[in-house]
Amino acid sequence: MERRHIGLCASLAIYLLGVACVSQDEGGSTNSLVFASSADATTLDPHNTTDSQSDQIIWMLYNALIRYDEDMQFVPDLAESWSVAEDEVTWTFELRSGVRFHDGAAFDAHAVKANFDRVLDPEAGHNRRSLFLPIDHVEVVDDLTVRIVTRYPFGAFEPTMAHVSAVIVSPKMAAEHGGAFGYSADATAGTGPYRVTAWRKDLELTLERNDDYWGEPGRLETIFYRPIPEAASRVIALESGDVDVITHIPPADLPRLEADPEVEITKTLSIGAQQFRFHCKREPFTDPRIRRAVAHAIDRQSIIDNLMPGMVQASTGPLTPRIRGRADLGEFPYDPDEARRLLAEAGYPDGFETTINTTPRYNMGVELAQAIAAQLAEVGIRAEIEVLEWGAIRQYWGGLLPDDCPLEIFIMGAGASSADADWGLRPIFSTQEKNENNYGYYSNAEFDELILEAMQEIDNDKRNALYRRAQEIVYLEDPGAVWLYDNFHVVGSRATVSGLTTSPLGLVTFERAAISR
Amino acid sequence: MLRYVARRLAEMFLALLGTSLLVFLLIHMIPGDPALLMSGLEASPEQIEQKRRELGLDRPLAIQYFGFLKGALQGDFGTSIRMGVPVLDEILDRLPYTLTIAALGTLLATLVGMVSGVLASVYHNRPGDGLVMMLALLAASTPSYWLGLMLMLVFSLWLGWLPSIGIRSSAHYVLPVLTLAGQSGGIISRMTRAAMLDVLGQDYVRAARARGETEWFVVVRHALKNALIPVISIVGLRFGNLLAGTVLVESVFAIPGVGRLLVDAVNWRDYPMIQGTMLFVAGVFVVVNTVTDILYGVADPRIRLGGAPR
Repeated sequence: MERRHIGLCASLAIYLLGVACVSQDEGGSTNSLVFASSADATTLDPHNTTDSQSDQIIWMLYNALIRYDEDMQFVPDLAESWSVAEDEVTWTFELRSGVRFHDGAAFDAHAVKANFDRVLDPEAGHNRRSLFLPIDHVEVVDDLTVRIVTRYPFGAFEPTMAHVSAVIVSPKMAAEHGGAFGYSADATAGTGPYRVTAWRKDLELTLERNDDYWGEPGRLETIFYRPIPEAASRVIALESGDVDVITHIPPADLPRLEADPEVEITKTLSIGAQQFRFHCKREPFTDPRIRRAVAHAIDRQSIIDNLMPGMVQASTGPLTPRIRGRADLGEFPYDPDEARRLLAEAGYPDGFETTINTTPRYNMGVELAQAIAAQLAEVGIRAEIEVLEWGAIRQYWGGLLPDDCPLEIFIMGAGASSADADWGLRPIFSTQEKNENNYGYYSNAEFDELILEAMQEIDNDKRNALYRRAQEIVYLEDPGAVWLYDNFHVVGSRATVSGLTTSPLGLVTFERAAISR
Repeated sequence: MLRYVARRLAEMFLALLGTSLLVFLLIHMIPGDPALLMSGLEASPEQIEQKRRELGLDRPLAIQYFGFLKGALQGDFGTSIRMGVPVLDEILDRLPYTLTIAALGTLLATLVGMVSGVLASVYHNRPGDGLVMMLALLAASTPSYWLGLMLMLVFSLWLGWLPSIGIRSSAHYVLPVLTLAGQSGGIISRMTRAAMLDVLGQDYVRAARARGETEWFVVVRHALKNALIPVISIVGLRFGNLLAGTVLVESVFAIPGVGRLLVDAVNWRDYPMIQGTMLFVAGVFVVVNTVTDILYGVADPRIRLGGAPR
């Protein structure tokens, strides 16, 4: 019996080895690319998307009326030209002719109207509805001309039209699938260079080239999205060539990948930044001097060099250089003496006790809190660190009254998805009674006035001047947060891959990508 | 025997009912709101409230629980909040991967474990015994997460023999199964050796040898069969561990199995998915243990006849 057992094991081993040698991967083909992000897309419905994995696939499937190019300028996409009337609220778009959706329906002004009606429909409850609230109504002038009228002159109109949620979906498909639109491969239809042919959740999403695309056709025939949640596995998969492109690279692996001749690292300064915000309605943070003291006590460069080398650069304002309307206000000076002086002046010569709330969901979230706590201790502020799981901390950012929110100094990552100062400042720092989006209850009357005025200012120079003053307030004078660093969007790819489009929005798309072998 | 089986089946049903109630209560007690998590950071409070209503989260807890139970008894576990697809469909899609890896892992662990355990007991106190037991101890103490990454590093990156992630071909199963079998194999090996040594010292074994039966006959026919009872219980219990172990293996090797489904569901507070998956996993676990108990009845007549141990 023993001999038979051994024989059985031996044959099993030989069989498995044999199978291993025979199996083939489609890696090695020049027609397809494999991309691994850290998570699967949640939805392909642009009106509901809230994460970058969904966004970057949506950009492959659909087009918007206008879009950002590599220099963050507005260029035509489905609209050939556009202009605003003297009343500053009527925007007219001339649409491209001869464009069809993947399901065969024609793209025209009716489709545009149907799309904005859909996202604005209060009954439908789409996640992105609030982004489009400044729109009053949409008019069809003729098949290729559409007019969008805003409630007031809206300075951020163009960024909103270039937002991923403003892409145009086939109204026929959307109506057919209703609430299920965007949750499976057959429930999507856009005008874009690729279409979805299969979607096994958390395993693989397959895109195939749309040979009827109205614009420049993609060079790759097939693109596979295979999410790998474990960072270590993702990096090994890139190094071994099992995948061609990855994102979300841990800082510790970056030097090794940069030194690897078979791997190429692309870094693009993004709209995302890391900060710690204050609960501005809780003592002692009601006093701006305390908040300035905390900001002065932070040695940004040391944090960057030790925790995130090569992946970030120090913040020079509340918005990153990639956001329209941002002002360069320089690094907040690291000055522990000034910090102590401000603390004494505000009545806390011996410092005080506080809590730093953080979550590991943000890259290095816990380590950042530890670094900050240590630096605050140098000026007499004794901080305890509370690590919360994402679902738990998210509870505190959802319409609570100031007394019901237990956070004090809490971590936050921010990136205006429209790459524009309006969305990057207004929801987050305008006075709100409950913290639906202004999680730290920041409130400054002059700031509120400036933001409101800038929102309704169409002239870019006037806008930028207003935003500059607003940023001085929220960044320097009456700080709403401690801004640490602006993130680079880091993408790792095999050296055989070319033509990646890495956007400052933190997305990577493949419409011009190719593989050479 | 029939009464024994019937009793075990009734206990199984009660266990599942209790599990579903406990899971329901637990997930509603932890902080976290699926409507909030699905709405993204830039949503307005009205949108979040509307989503809560859509998902039926504003109904009283008792109504939500009995709604789930009623559906479950009819085979409808609801729709996933995160993925928008029916829960049961998603579980059944992923079950083959998890079951295959868990089953192959159990098989490998049992085969290698029992063979090495028997050999170690037969060559008791000789160098072979020490070597096997040391390897078994190493295997039992190595965390599967680390083992998986190490195997991936060696066999995928350095040697290039096997693919690292995914589950697209038979070759993709090798590393995950090896990883999963590691810990269990070590434990089964040591258990088998201990049980065998215990039995080999018994009087009836000495009597068999005295009768002139060959050593292999003695080992297999008499000793192994009696040593099987504790080993079967270990294998049954380890299968439950293996189901949990697949969570780690599925994460490391990016396999979309039921384990990862459950972890993602908890992170997103996807209540229907959590309840459905837990019920399923608990069901599998309970069924395996019931089958194990019934196998006891077959292997040991004393248990099935309800008699007292000699």
